[in-house]
Amino acid sequence: MNLQQHPRFETKFRFLSFLIWLVFLVLVARLFYLQVIHGAYYKIMSENNYSRKVILRSPRGIIKDCHGVVIARNKPSFMVVLDTHARNQSAAFSEARALLGMDLKRNGAKTGSGGITGPGLAIVARNVPITVVERVEANRRLLEPLHVEMELLREYPFGKTASHAIGYVGFVSTKKSRDSAAELWDPFKLEGKSGIEKTANKVLTGINGFRSVQVDSHGREVTDPSLRIPYLGQKKEPVRGRSVTLTIDMKLQSILEKAFGGETGSAVFMNPKTGGILAWVSLPNLDPNLFSRGIDRKSWVEISRDPRHPLLNRPIQGAYPPGSTFKPFVALVGLHDGKLTKNTVFSCPGFWRFGKRVFHCWRVHGAVNLESAIQNSCNVYFYHAADKIGINELSRLGKVVGFGAPTGVDLPGERSGVMPDPAWKRKQKLGPWVPGDTLPIGIGQGYLTVTPLQLLSFYSTLASGGLRYKPHLLQGPPELLSRIDVSPENLSVVTEGLWRVVNAGGTGGACAIPGLNVCAKTGTAQVIRASAGKNTMSLAKKVRDHAWFAGFAPRDDPKVAFVVMVEHGGHGGGIAARIARAGLEYLFSVQKPVPKKKNEPKATAAVESGTKPVNMDPKADSGGRKP
Amino acid sequence: MKRQLQSLWTNGDHSMSFLFLILVGWGLLMIRSATLGTRFSPMAGKQALWAVLSTGIYLLALIIPYETWLEYAYLIYGASVVSLVFVLLIGHRVAGARSWITLGPVGFQPSEFAKVAAIMACAAYLKSVSGRRAGLREAFIMALMVCVPAALTFLQPDLGTTATFLPILLVPFYLSKAKLSTLLKWAFAGLCLLLVMFAIGWFSFFKPYQKDRILTFMNPSFDPRGAGYQLQQSTIAVGSGEITGKGLYSGTQNRLSFLPAAHTDFIFSVIAEETGFVGSLSLLTIFLLLLSRFLNAARLSRDAEGRFIAVAALSLILCHLLINVGMVLGLLPTTGIPLPFISYGGSFLLSMSFLTGLVGNVYARRFVE
Repeated sequence: MNLQQHPRFETKFRFLSFLIWLVFLVLVARLFYLQVIHGAYYKIMSENNYSRKVILRSPRGIIKDCHGVVIARNKPSFMVVLDTHARNQSAAFSEARALLGMDLKRNGAKTGSGGITGPGLAIVARNVPITVVERVEANRRLLEPLHVEMELLREYPFGKTASHAIGYVGFVSTKKSRDSAAELWDPFKLEGKSGIEKTANKVLTGINGFRSVQVDSHGREVTDPSLRIPYLGQKKEPVRGRSVTLTIDMKLQSILEKAFGGETGSAVFMNPKTGGILAWVSLPNLDPNLFSRGIDRKSWVEISRDPRHPLLNRPIQGAYPPGSTFKPFVALVGLHDGKLTKNTVFSCPGFWRFGKRVFHCWRVHGAVNLESAIQNSCNVYFYHAADKIGINELSRLGKVVGFGAPTGVDLPGERSGVMPDPAWKRKQKLGPWVPGDTLPIGIGQGYLTVTPLQLLSFYSTLASGGLRYKPHLLQGPPELLSRIDVSPENLSVVTEGLWRVVNAGGTGGACAIPGLNVCAKTGTAQVIRASAGKNTMSLAKKVRDHAWFAGFAPRDDPKVAFVVMVEHGGHGGGIAARIARAGLEYLFSVQKPVPKKKNEPKATAAVESGTKPVNMDPKADSGGRKP
Repeated sequence: MKRQLQSLWTNGDHSMSFLFLILVGWGLLMIRSATLGTRFSPMAGKQALWAVLSTGIYLLALIIPYETWLEYAYLIYGASVVSLVFVLLIGHRVAGARSWITLGPVGFQPSEFAKVAAIMACAAYLKSVSGRRAGLREAFIMALMVCVPAALTFLQPDLGTTATFLPILLVPFYLSKAKLSTLLKWAFAGLCLLLVMFAIGWFSFFKPYQKDRILTFMNPSFDPRGAGYQLQQSTIAVGSGEITGKGLYSGTQNRLSFLPAAHTDFIFSVIAEETGFVGSLSLLTIFLLLLSRFLNAARLSRDAEGRFIAVAALSLILCHLLINVGMVLGLLPTTGIPLPFISYGGSFLLSMSFLTGLVGNVYARRFVE
C-alpha cells in the first residue's frame, strides 16, 4: 500500500518495537508486583501512614480520707508539647513567643520532673490557660513542632497537709512505660512516686484508651469530610483507676500539723485495735501539687538542699533514740522475766557510778518503785533495770515487739532503726559489748534508735493488751502481726505508771484532759552527750534534745495510740505533750465532723479555739510527788 | 489550503490525536487531584490553560507541512541554544539548578524546547544531505548538534534533563547505514564508556544531593526522611492502590501529602494510587499505543527527515516514560524527569505536544506528492 516503505529499516523498527514492548512489560510487571501481589501489604502501610492512635488518658483513682473527703483528684488541663525530632524548633519557639506572649524554652522542657519525657516529646509548658490552647491550635502551621495535649493533672486540695502520707505523682519513667506492651505507649502516664500514691499505684492507675484519627504527613489531624478517606474507626474507652479510701482523718491531721507551730518532727495517731492510721504528720512538709505540676530544677535543688530535709518521711525514715519513752518497754521486760516486780525499789541519788563511768539522772528522785519510776521518768531506776535484765534479753524481746525491723506500713521507704545487741556491735566494728553499753539502752539512749512508727506500734500493742497490728493507711481489714505474750498484771503495772505520767503530777501533765484517762510517756532524747542532765531549752536549737510523747487513750478501752516527736523540741512534757493533747481533744471532746462539702480543704478553726491553753512551764511538771 | 486540510483529514492519524487528547485530559484530572486542597491548587487551572495552548500548538505542528517547519529548524535551534546560554546567566534557580527563565507571569524551561529544536535541526540537516544515506560522518554531525544544548543543560546543572538528550543523541546513529548488530556492539561499548564517565563524575562533578539520590536508590534506608522517604512513600502509594484504586481524589498518600511532588514528577503515583492497577495499566497501554503510532509514522515516512523526527520523538518519550515511571515504581533512582503529557509543567507539555504534532504531520504527509 505504501510504496515508500523502506524494507532495509525493518529490522531496526522491529527492534524499536521490541524496546517499546520491553519497557511496557517491565513497568507492567512491576506494577503487578506492587499492586496486585503486594497490594494488601502496601494498603496497610498507607493506613499506618495516615491513621494515628490518640491516647484517651484514663483518670487516676481518687484518694479520700476516712470521712470521704477528697484528698487527691484529677483536673483536666492542657500542656504544650514539643516534638524534639522536628527541624524548625527555634523558629517555632520565636513564633510562639510572639503569638502566645509566653517565653517557652527548650531548656525549660528538660528541667521538668523526669526531664525529657520520652523519645521525641518534651513538655515546654503545663497547665496553660485555654486562650493559649486556642492560639496554638489556630496557628498550627507556624508552630508546627509544638502541639497541645490534654492531661489529667493530679490535684491535692489540701496542699501540704498529710503530704508524706499521700505522696505525689510524676510521669512514668521512660523505661517502665516501654514495658507495658499491652497499652499504647504514653510518655505522660502518671505514676505514684511516693506515699500512698506509690503504694496503691496499681489500684489507682487505670488503663488508657485510644481513638484512631486521620492525620496528614505533618501529623495534623484531618477532619475534612470531602476527603472521603475510609475511617478506620477504632476506639477504646479508657478504664478509670479505682479510688482508695484512707484511714486518715484530715481534720485531725490539720489540727496536729497546726499544733506543731512550725516545728520539725512527726506525729502518728493510730487505732490500736486495727492498726488504721488516723493521722500521719511529718514536718516540714511539701505541697505535692508542686510535683504533679512539674517542679522546676531550682525549686528541686532548694528542696533537696534544705537542712530540715522536707522530703524525709519522718515517722518511718527518721531513726532517733527513743529516750524515756522506751522505759515502759524495759519495765515490761523486767516484769516479764521476773527481774522486776511492782515493788522493786532503787534509790536515785541523781546519778549512778558504774565502773569508771557516771550515769546521770535528770534530778534526784530518792527511793523509787517501778510505777513512780515511770511516772517521774527516773533514769537511775532504769539503769538498774537494764543492768539486771541484760542486753541479750532486752534485744530479744525488743525484736519481738518490733524494734529494729520495719513495721510493714503501706508506705514506701521504711527504715528499721537499730535494736542493738553484742552481735550487732561486733558487726558494726565498734568493739565488744561492755556492760556500760547496756545502761543507756535502759533509758532509750546509746546505740538504740527507733522510728516514731515503731514506738507507736509498741504503745499500740500496750493499749491492745498485746495485739500487734500492722499499721496501715489504706482502709481494709486489720492485719494481726503477732500476739505478744504479756500478763494482764504486768501490763496494768506499766499502764498505771503511764496514767500517772499524765494524771498524777508526772512529766506529762500537759496532756491531762479532764474526763479522759490518757496514758503516755514523755521522752527527751539527747542529741549530744554533753547535754545530759541539763535543761537544753536554753541551748542553741540544733543541739537541743528531741522531745517525745507517746501513749494511748482512754486507759480502759483504748481508742487511739499516738506518738509525737518534735526534733530539738526540748523536754517531752512540753510541746510534744501539747501537740498530742490537741489531737486527743479533737478526737474525744469534739463531735466527729460530717463532711459538708466534698472538697473542704481546711479543717474548721473551731476545733483549735476549743483547746484550752495548758501549762507550758516544764518546772511545774517536774515538781511531781515523790514516791 | 482547503484541499491541503482535506488531505490532512483523510490521511491523518486520528487515533494518534485521540490518544494525545486522552493523555492530556487524564493529566489535567490527575493534577487537579494532586493539588486539591494544597497550596498548589491554582496550578490545575493554570495547567488547563497550558493544555488548551498545547492543543493549539499540536494542531499547528500538524497542519503546517513539516518541510516548512524544517525551513525554520536552524533558526529555532539557534534561538534555543541562545536561550540556554541566557538561562545559565540569569536563570531562576529551582532545586539547585538554574533552569528557568521568567517572562512576565510565566516561567519557561528552555531545555525542554531545546530537545525539540535539536530534533528539528537534525532533521533539517538530514534533509540537506538527502539523496545519500546518512553515514557515520553525518551521524556525528547530528550528534554534535544534540550535544550542544545537552552540554548547556548539564551546566545548569540539570542531570535528569541532560540524560533525556541521550536518546535523541543515539537516533542519528541508529538510523545510519550501520547494521543493527554493529549498533548493538557499539551500544555495549558506549555503556562501558558511560560507566567510566559516571565513575569520574562521581568523584568530581556530582552535587551531594545527586549522590544522595543515587545512594538512596541503592539503599532506601539511607536517609529515610530525604530522598529515600520519597521513594518509600511513592512505592506505598502505588502498592496501596491495589487493583481498582482508592478512587479519584481519594488517594490517602496523595491527599494527605505523603507523596512528594505529587503533581509533577510523582504524578504517576497518584494515578496508580487512585485508579489502581487497572488505571495505571490503561495509562501505560495508551502510551504503548501512542508510541506504536509513532513507530508506524516512522515506518511509513516518505523521507529520512520524517523518519528521524518520528524515531527521535519515540525514543524521547519512551525514555521519559521509562525513567519517570521506573522511578515512581522504585526501579530507578530519583531524577527530576516528568511524565510526558501528564506531569504539571507548561514548557514540557508544549514541547511534547509540538513534537507529537510533528510526528502526526510526518504520518499525514507520508505519500510522495
